[in-house]
Amino acid sequence: MKLQDVDVAVIGSGPAGMAAAIKAKESGAKSVLIMERAEQMGGLLHQCVHNGFGLLYFSEDLTGPEYAHRFMEKAMDVKVAPLLETMVTKISPEREITAISSQAGYITFTPKSIVLAMGCRERSRGALNIPGTRPAGILTAGTAQRFVNVEGFIPGKKIVILGSGDIGMIMARRLTLEGAEVVAVVEILPYIGGLLRNEVQCLHDFNISLLLEHTVTQIYGEQRIEAVTVARVDSNWNPIAGTGRRIECDTLLLSIGLIPENELSSMAGVELDPVTGGPIVGEVRQTNVPGIFAGGNVVHVHDLVDNVSWESELAGESAARFAMGAKWAEGKIILKPGRNIRYIVPHTISGEREVTLYLRVSDLEEGVRLKIGGIMSKALRIVKPSEMLKIELSTAQLRKLKEGTTEIVVDCEKRGSR
Amino acid sequence: MSGEERIVCIGCPMGCAVTLTIDDDREVVSIAGHKCKEGEKYVLDEYKSPVRTLTATVLTQSSSQKLLAVRTTAPIPKTKLVPGIMALAKVRTKPPIKIGDVIISNLLDTGVDVAATSDMPF
Repeated sequence: MKLQDVDVAVIGSGPAGMAAAIKAKESGAKSVLIMERAEQMGGLLHQCVHNGFGLLYFSEDLTGPEYAHRFMEKAMDVKVAPLLETMVTKISPEREITAISSQAGYITFTPKSIVLAMGCRERSRGALNIPGTRPAGILTAGTAQRFVNVEGFIPGKKIVILGSGDIGMIMARRLTLEGAEVVAVVEILPYIGGLLRNEVQCLHDFNISLLLEHTVTQIYGEQRIEAVTVARVDSNWNPIAGTGRRIECDTLLLSIGLIPENELSSMAGVELDPVTGGPIVGEVRQTNVPGIFAGGNVVHVHDLVDNVSWESELAGESAARFAMGAKWAEGKIILKPGRNIRYIVPHTISGEREVTLYLRVSDLEEGVRLKIGGIMSKALRIVKPSEMLKIELSTAQLRKLKEGTTEIVVDCEKRGSR
Repeated sequence: MSGEERIVCIGCPMGCAVTLTIDDDREVVSIAGHKCKEGEKYVLDEYKSPVRTLTATVLTQSSSQKLLAVRTTAPIPKTKLVPGIMALAKVRTKPPIKIGDVIISNLLDTGVDVAATSDMPF
């Protein structure tokens, strides 16, 4: 493949990149190139050996490697070629890509369109500024996952997990099964950060204690971590004096959130949303830079890989259409987060085609009604920041919009209140 | 032994904490705390025969990778998770292996196989 002839370049080959590239090819792009820094396609899926992937997309309960395998096979079938061991170091606003590759050396080229599919990375200790020493044995849950599931090492024998994100809970179960003792999962909020099924199947199943409204306030140890102090917090997340207790451990895992990886996007002049940490996108996942699209966790952190794949297919299809010279209706209507809404993706819509909204609330609430402008309303028993809401708007519903609408406010209202 | 059993329903994000009252024969006498029919069914199934898919890794004799990811091809009784992982600890797989290849057949007489979840060509 000549780099000069690339129609669509996809940055990253995780679930987002693979889905985008396959869809771009199926949508008529002649030459689609995936650029991947690792030795194989699939991204993080290979280390996610647990099941729960694909329940929506394939209606099957797959593990991470199995989910990756399906897309890798499909990519081969539709002849999407990956350029492996290739690190994109720069994208210019004119879409010129610079990369270093163990296969192709130093390369620069300008594809007709680009899909950003770099995914996200984990927040680390620096994000929390936990006081104490800086010993070995403090790592993110995802790093531990790689050690245990790919490299074949157990990071420790007595483990405290800070944060109740999904990877943290899944590692609590995994490490317990591999013979380690998980002393506690510590969560600063009054509810878990991940999915309910993981609380039940990873923590309850193995009698792992979950300390809600607690945090780690001190780390001890010189060479290796020896203990942490865990204290109760007040409603402002401040530790309550006198509640601290020392817990001996040789490992502290952090499962405290994920950040979309957007250094390349910024270089290309792509405008980011400070709330999601990802590009501001329209309904076909176009960014503000012509010819640059984005999908998956690089846009906003999803709970389920199935939605990553679907969102990225949209980005891939759009990139293919852009490469072939197609145009689409502008995103002239801004979706504005109202009461108890943290963010909405996409950020803008045209109002002319059906669209799926992905949104998250700020706070847990029961008995609410979700209102999308004046065009849709849906009662929900409970909403949680950790569970993404997915709302489909049909063209029939969008036709209810008044001519010249420039903004739709989305509110999560308490039912029974006015 | 009669008593109560608490089970959190995972059917939806609501996460109802459901309480089952159990008689001396371990039979369910009453159920409370659920908010829907599906939840009732989930909790009763979860009480009678809780099952889970076991996913893990096994050691390999491969020159390219130290571990191979595996899974049970169907859920197995929850009580078999730990014995199951102990059985997997003894396994050393030899390449070549294709995704879906059976690594252990009929794990602990559950009637369920353990299979590879990716290829291991060499």
